[in-house]
Amino acid sequence: MADTVNTHLDPQLNRRGFLKGVTMAAAALGLSEAMIPKMVEAAASGERPRVIWLHFQECTGCTESLLRSSHPDLARLILDIISLDYHETVMAAAGHQAEHNLHETVNNHPFLLVVEGAIPTKDNGIHCMIAGKTAMEILAEVAPKASAIIAIGTCATFGGVQAAAPNPTGAVGVWDLVKDKPIVNIPGCPPNPVSFLGTILHYLTFNRLPLMDKLNRPLFAYGRRIHDHCERRAHFDEGRFVEQFGDEAHQMGYCLYKVGCKGPETFSNCPAVRFNGVEVWPVSVGHGCIGCTEPNFWDTMTPFYDRLPQVKIPGTGIVEDADNIGKKVLGVTAAAIGVHAAVGIGKGLIKGKSSHE
Amino acid sequence: MATYEKKKCWSVLFRLFHWMYALSIVTLCITGFYINGPWTNTMIEGSASFPMAFARFIYFTAGYVFAGAIIIRTFLYIFGNKQERVWDILPITPRNIKNLFSTILRYAYISENHEVRLGHNVLAGLTYLFTFVVAIFMIISGFFMLFPEVATWQGIGTAVFGNQQWGRYLHHLLMWWFMMFALIHVYLCIWNDVKEPEGIISSIFTGDKFLHK
Ligand code: HEM
Ligand code: HEM
Ligand code: SF4
Repeated sequence: MADTVNTHLDPQLNRRGFLKGVTMAAAALGLSEAMIPKMVEAAASGERPRVIWLHFQECTGCTESLLRSSHPDLARLILDIISLDYHETVMAAAGHQAEHNLHETVNNHPFLLVVEGAIPTKDNGIHCMIAGKTAMEILAEVAPKASAIIAIGTCATFGGVQAAAPNPTGAVGVWDLVKDKPIVNIPGCPPNPVSFLGTILHYLTFNRLPLMDKLNRPLFAYGRRIHDHCERRAHFDEGRFVEQFGDEAHQMGYCLYKVGCKGPETFSNCPAVRFNGVEVWPVSVGHGCIGCTEPNFWDTMTPFYDRLPQVKIPGTGIVEDADNIGKKVLGVTAAAIGVHAAVGIGKGLIKGKSSHE
Repeated sequence: MATYEKKKCWSVLFRLFHWMYALSIVTLCITGFYINGPWTNTMIEGSASFPMAFARFIYFTAGYVFAGAIIIRTFLYIFGNKQERVWDILPITPRNIKNLFSTILRYAYISENHEVRLGHNVLAGLTYLFTFVVAIFMIISGFFMLFPEVATWQGIGTAVFGNQQWGRYLHHLLMWWFMMFALIHVYLCIWNDVKEPEGIISSIFTGDKFLHK
């Protein structure tokens, strides 16, 4: 096994690092360790799937987090079990040569398509153009030939921040445009590299895509809400809450529910898999979850430091906390009841008792 | 001296539904408020007190009672007695349309004319029907939050609300409808009880109303 690894893979990636990466992915996938040899075999088989990685409206944060994960082994493993034929950030080729590589793979080989970034659809898609073509055109050209599509990051999956109201460029996710291909959505801003690696390894080992939820997110990574496996959950159940950043409760590491943590509404494996190889994730360092793996997160999860969105009354410019409005409406109702009762009593006094008898 | 006749109006099942509904809503509003904005009671850890877990337990129990009440009401809308069926309050017959307007005039103190009618007046009936629809929304968003991993609820909830947060937001907003409804409802029951000798309040306990012979 060690030999196959060494002949087919980057010599910089040692066997130990390789096994470590595969084991991490297996753990994230929830597979038994008995599966690890199979996965190693699949990953080291030398049949590296060709991958085309398209960048549209995005910040490249997903790629950055993948490549700069402080598990260098993980990044290298990803780059070594796949053959990255086209990736604007890391490819050596440029200009016509890059375009040539792209078309060569698209036209002559089976490949996996990875999309990072949203696709603008307004004004014929002119808000994002690469090599003289709009993102929509590129996707329409490449997607039909792909064996499967992985949309990485919240932009490529659900439109991300570009799609926030009023969505000036008409940004949408891949699955809004491509209907007839298997699509895996790996949302997050950025998503955990392990979730991406797990999906690829699953595909290599079992020859099919992992089980997914209704939003096409792989269940191994997005099967549970953050709140349901958060390390601060005991403080939630026992009723100890941070009221304000920096207060005593915050220093004690209590639950961040009241300062707007969206863990109860967000599906992701962050508390289990964590980030950057130093075992941190937002809640562990004292910041609530902002719900970045959910559709429309920018519009529905804000204000980030409040529990619930605010009520916007269209046409009036009124933006207010839901409960303030509720209290006012209830107050008006109570006042109206008071007036109604007073009128009834007044009428009774003037006219004398109406008789049923 | 007018004479009155005691008439059977509400079945046992209907009265059971009413009190399951009313009590569960009060419980859901109170515990719902705590769930929305809990406070830190003690900073002693390991004190074996679980206020949030406890509030949620009471809350979910009331949630099931509420859902049970709605199932009963659905049944009664179709198979209940004459006053309980949905046709009795839909403004689709001349009798009901006339009652709708006369009730509005009476509630506005414009007319004193009280139409003798065993079941709900149509204005009340329509408000109850609207509340019934809102209740179904509460149940869908509630179970979507309670069982987010179950494919059925995930499918329905995602289709209706988009994500958990939006479901929760609407769930919270709609709570205010129930509080307004309860306030107006209890007031109008008392108002009617004062003005008319039907015994409307006792009818929801005993099932009987008193009508002119
Ligand atoms: C002290 C408290 C209450 C009393 C005395 C009371 C009494 C009554 C009475 C007399 C009726 C029949 C009215 C009619 O014929 O139109 C009724 C119906 C109803 N009540 Fe209450 N009620 C109370 C609390 C509540 C609360 C808190 C709620 C829920 C928020 C509620 C929800 C309803 C509904 C939905 C109906 C209509 C049933 C239907 O036809 O679907 N009640 N109530
Ligand atoms: C009239 C009926 C109801 C009212 C007034 C009500 C009210 C509330 C309120 C105020 C909240 C807190 C929302 C927030 O601010 O975060 C809440 C949460 C919730 N409700 Fe309801 N609700 C009702 C019915 C139901 C039903 C029938 C269910 C289903 C069992 C349900 C399940 C839930 C769940 C699961 C939560 C989230 C609790 C948590 O995650 O801690 N609700 N509800
Ligand atoms: S910090 Fe957030 S995810 Fe963790 S228990 Fe509190 S509300 Fe839930």
